[in-house]
Amino acid sequence: MPAYKLTYFNARGRAEPIRLLFAAAGIKYEDVRIEGADWPALKPKTPMGHLPILEVDGATLCESTAIARFVAKRAGMVGKDDLEEAKADMIVDGVKEVFRKLLTMFFEKDESKKEELKKDVFEKTLPECLRSFGKLANPSGYFVGDSLSWADVEFYNLMEMVRPSFPGDLLKDNANLAKVIANVGGNPAIAKWIKERPESAF
Amino acid sequence: MAQKYRLTYFNLRARAEPTRLVFAAAGVEYEDVRIQRDKWPDLKPNTPMGQLPVLEVGGVTLCQSMAIARYVAKETGLAGKTKLEEAQADMLVDGIDDLRGRQAVIRKASEDRKEECKKELADFAPDFLSKYENLCGPHGHLVGDSLTWADLVFYDVMSKVLVVLPGALDGFPKLAKVMDTVTANEGVATWLAKRPDTPH
Repeated sequence: MPAYKLTYFNARGRAEPIRLLFAAAGIKYEDVRIEGADWPALKPKTPMGHLPILEVDGATLCESTAIARFVAKRAGMVGKDDLEEAKADMIVDGVKEVFRKLLTMFFEKDESKKEELKKDVFEKTLPECLRSFGKLANPSGYFVGDSLSWADVEFYNLMEMVRPSFPGDLLKDNANLAKVIANVGGNPAIAKWIKERPESAF
Repeated sequence: MAQKYRLTYFNLRARAEPTRLVFAAAGVEYEDVRIQRDKWPDLKPNTPMGQLPVLEVGGVTLCQSMAIARYVAKETGLAGKTKLEEAQADMLVDGIDDLRGRQAVIRKASEDRKEECKKELADFAPDFLSKYENLCGPHGHLVGDSLTWADLVFYDVMSKVLVVLPGALDGFPKLAKVMDTVTANEGVATWLAKRPDTPH
């Protein structure tokens, strides 16, 4: 029986980076997906009332980024020293900032405000982020050192989320970042997971 | 002699203060650079993501306040004793942002919205803090049995919440004990007494 039990909804959402990391590292885990109707009963049993949670070694972790970092450490995908780990952390924090703006845009109900937010993401947030990130990734297509880290995986996941709303080649003038995407997508274990994972709306 | 660590921010507590508290608790020296607002436009393009704070160390410039605080915590032995403890500290630090946000918005709110924002914080805090009380260890530390940066981040946020809601920790003795443990730390106490007085 796997030592890890991940619980989330049947969605990629906040859990997908964690699943991608388990796949890349070849670590077996229980990928539990609950129905919306089952959530109210489970909610009070979670540490902070939200998902995903990871049960491991008798403890229950929450907060998707904290969980992903923990799994990345177990997988040896955080960087080789404290400074590299910090570089990975800062990239992931930058990714999450864009992620939050995307979520605000997705969940905006007022149509004209939604269009305004979308314009802001497309004209300001994304170009600025991709420009900064392009300088922080190296020409081999890694944010940290010279091998795949969770920073690369989180960036890849972000671009997967961005693409449906902003199609087109956002990375056409950004060789380093295009290489990051190629490295992550071309990782055989990740490619296999992406092919086989359950379908979900988001 | 140049310091090993150079932290740059505005002359505020805000997003740099968790890192300053970690340095203080650990008794580790660093250059605490505070820039004037008018210097920011020139500095901004030279930062990794166009934001402050940044930490310069070993020829590298780090950004993102929590990445910096976690790094300094690791360097000073205040991140947690095992990978699991580190993760527990991380999750508590991430989670506190919900409380921090609801407190921060009061300061930025227009006069006619301030009371509403205070009420929103007052409605939110009890349930939130009861979850943290459940997760908190019994030793006066959120995680494990010694100081971690999670205690310091909690102190930083909670001290601001207590200004608005003085009774917020009533009924949460383990969390109140964390606050006492933090302020009793010699390095923290010294820092709190001498740190520059800033609006926030």
